[in-house]
Formats: sequence, structure tokens, C-alpha cells
Amino acid sequence: MIKSRELSLQYKDGTYGLKNVSIEIPKGELVFITGPSGSGKTSFVKLILGMEKLTHGDLFVLDYNMKSITDKELVKLRQSIGPIFQDFKLLDGRSVCDNVLVGMRFLNIDSGTMYEKALIALEKVGLSHKVHSRVENLSYGEKQRVAIARAIARNPKLIIADEPTGNLDKKNSIIIFDLLKSFKAEDTTVIVTTHATHLIKDIKDSLHIQVEDGKLKYQEVIND
Amino acid sequence: MIKRISNTKYYLREVSTLLKRDLSTNILSILSLGFIFFIISLVISLGISSQFMIDEISFQAQISIYYNENFDPNLIKDELKIIPGVNVINYINSEEANARMQEVLGSDKRILELFDHNPFSPYLEVFIELDQLDEIVQKSKDIHGVELVRDNQEVLDKLKNLLNILTVLGVFIFIAISVATLVITAHIIRQGVYINKEAIATLKLLGAPSYFIYIPFVINGIFMTLLAGIGSVVLVYFSNSYIYSKISGVLPFIILPKFSALILTLVLFNGIISIILGFLGSILGIKTTKLK
Repeated sequence: MIKSRELSLQYKDGTYGLKNVSIEIPKGELVFITGPSGSGKTSFVKLILGMEKLTHGDLFVLDYNMKSITDKELVKLRQSIGPIFQDFKLLDGRSVCDNVLVGMRFLNIDSGTMYEKALIALEKVGLSHKVHSRVENLSYGEKQRVAIARAIARNPKLIIADEPTGNLDKKNSIIIFDLLKSFKAEDTTVIVTTHATHLIKDIKDSLHIQVEDGKLKYQEVIND
Repeated sequence: MIKRISNTKYYLREVSTLLKRDLSTNILSILSLGFIFFIISLVISLGISSQFMIDEISFQAQISIYYNENFDPNLIKDELKIIPGVNVINYINSEEANARMQEVLGSDKRILELFDHNPFSPYLEVFIELDQLDEIVQKSKDIHGVELVRDNQEVLDKLKNLLNILTVLGVFIFIAISVATLVITAHIIRQGVYINKEAIATLKLLGAPSYFIYIPFVINGIFMTLLAGIGSVVLVYFSNSYIYSKISGVLPFIILPKFSALILTLVLFNGIISIILGFLGSILGIKTTKLK
């Protein structure tokens, strides 16, 4: 699914976002990447999504070689990923349903199926009663759930959530982690970056990776 | 392709969002574009009218032959008939010549009442093939009894020169206006792309192809130029109907093209040009916007 070898991301000013990270994430895994701010969590997400270009080493995401990926391939890769961000990245001025649909409009899905998938996804995140609400009128917790619905509606092979609870209170954070955890059962690989270690320490059947100063500190599998 | 068509509703909704997001700027831009199209419509109206006038004059090409009144006009007529390029010959007596001038002068015909007697001489009105004008004039002058041959070559040449100037001017104005329209449209679209840069970045992260992201911006550009084009036609309709009413009252001898035909030409021209310029301007705007 995701494989990196001595992966490094060096910025123009000479500093490293990531340094020599070798990691392998198999299909269907629930992975938590933890570490303090500036440790390299977001850099890893950016490399997976092709928002940054790796400077050393190798990175393979869903069989795409990120070192030599073309623009066309990057579009295809992103269509297979369900991204979730700390700042939600929803389209203001549009309804909840429109925001979920927008992630599928350019995929080869007919209109009827597309609406059906959107409604199912919104039901999963508990927002089926707010289908027509405007996203700017929602609470932060609800906004993040819309973002999750947008990510899962298109049945991605990989869900990648960058600090999804960064703007949320404890109650909403637990809801979001529970939701993300549930997608593992659907055989989807879920990668979550977070610094809320206290909320994930009890989540079983998951891989915990800690990064610090751009380097891999440790990784451990938490089983039942 | 099917997917692109099935998203039509979405694209139109996005266009509406784009328009509303920066409404005052968009309205001002449409007004500016409307005035630009209005100027070009006026130039085109002038060009069409001049060309029409030349065609009409050419079609009705005629010369007037004045003769010594001691000669029999029928003999002159017989000699004229055998000149190649001569079509019809009419004898115009002095009363008819007077009546025709009264018609030309319109409300100023009272000037003719100042004469004690009819100042007009009889003449022969000869309809000819315009391309043989020079030879016909020369041969007519050689006929015994002919005193003066009057043709409208000078008027025709002046009109043709005027049309040439108008054409050159029109081409320059058209180029200048096209460039201005492209620049304005590109700027509006660039601004729209910039305002929506976060939404565009999100769509890119979701794997949206470029066509999906930018189609609403292109439709927006075309919509604005088309609206400006339609607005300019409305303006030109009223201004031209005013000009037509003034000309028909004060200068009744000026031949103008049919008003409805002129407006229809302008509607088609403005429609096509505004769509083309809107499309090109939008593409230019998108291509020249640098988003990271």
C-alpha cells in the first residue's frame, strides 16, 4: 500500500521535514502517526498526497512511484485517496450534500449512485438530517464529519487524515476517532496523524508510529 | 464526455456562486465590456451603411446627358443605344427634372420658388453598366449635339475612399477592442481564480481534473462577455433608431440599409464575437494565473 525507503524531504532553506524514514504500511491497516508539532507528520501526509516532492529516497503510494509520478498519475492517485484535513477544506457557500458530492463528480459514477453514496456516507457520520444545510452554518465537529463523509463516499483505497481533531474538543475528537476506526473494518487503509496520543492509546488493532525531528522514533502494533 | 455533460447543473451553480462572490466587480466589468462592444457595434453599423450605399449607387449607376435643345433627343437616343453597356434610356423633360429636384430637397424645396421660370433643362437619363462607365462617357461626349455628360463617378469614388478609411479604422478598432476585451475578461477570471484559490486547491487534492475545476470559470467569462454583447445591442438598437429617424427626416436622399437587417447582423456579430472573446479571455486568465 505505502512503502518508503530512506525517505527524506529537504526544504529549500536546508531544513528537513523528514529524514531517512523507512516504513511499510500494508493494506487495510489503521495507522496513527504521532509526534509533537513540527515533528514531520504533516510532511509525510504531504508527500503521500503529492503536495510536496521527495528529495531523497523512495516512496511508493498505491503502486505509484512518487519520485517520478506524472501530473496525470497524481490526479489518478488522489482520486483513490480520501483526504481529511485539520481545517476541513470544505467549499463554503455550498450545502453539506454538495460538499460530499463534489468529491465524486469527476469520477466515473452515475448521478443516481453518486447521490446514494453521498446519503449513505452522511448517514454513517450522523449528518443525514443536515443534508441541505450550508457548511458555514455547521459546528467544527459537524464540519469535520462532512469532510469524513466526502472522503468515504467515494470508497477510497486509502483514507489519510491530517490532525483531524486539531480543531475539536474532546467529545467531538472521540466521535471522529471512532468513525475513522470503523473504516478499518471495511478493508480501507486509514492513516491518521495526531498529537492527541491520550485519545488513541486504547485503540486496538492499529499501528502506532512516532516521529520526532523528522525521524522515525518507533513503531509498535497495538493488538487486542 | 458524458460525465462532463451530466455536471452541467453543477457548473451553472458554480458560475452563479462565482458571480455572486464578487458581484459589484462583475457588474462593473460587464458594463465596461458592454460599452466596448457598443463602440464596435457603432463602427460596424457605419461600415454596413456605407457599403450598402455604395452598392445601391453602383446598382443604380446612371449618367445624365444634356444636349443642345435644337437637336432631336430621339436621334441622340438612337446613337446612345448602340454603345455597349447602355441599358435603359429615359427622356426627362424640364418639368420632371424640376419635380425630382423638389423631392431631393425635401423641406428646402421652397428655394426653387424663387426662380421666375423653371431653371432645369431636359436631359436623357441613361442607366449603364458601372464597369464601362469611362468608355460610355467618352462615346456619349462624341455624339453630335451632346453638350454635357454628368456622371456620379466622383461621388462614388469619395464614398469608396470613405469606406476604405472606415474599413482600416474598423479593423484597428476591432483589434484594439478585442485586445481590451481579452485583457478585461482575463483579469476578471484571474481575479475569480485567485479568490477561489482555496477551493481550487481542495478540488486538486481530491483529484479533480483541470477541466472540472476550470469549466465554471470559462462559462463565467463567456456569460459576462455575452451579457455585455447583448447589452451593447440594446444600446445600439436605440441609438441607431434615433440616427435613422434623424437621417430620414433631414437627409431623405441618403439610402440606408433596412433597420431590422442591420440589427440582426449586429446581434449575430456581437453574439459570436462575445462568445469567442469570452472563451479566449477566460482561457488566457486561467493560463496566466499562478497558483501554488
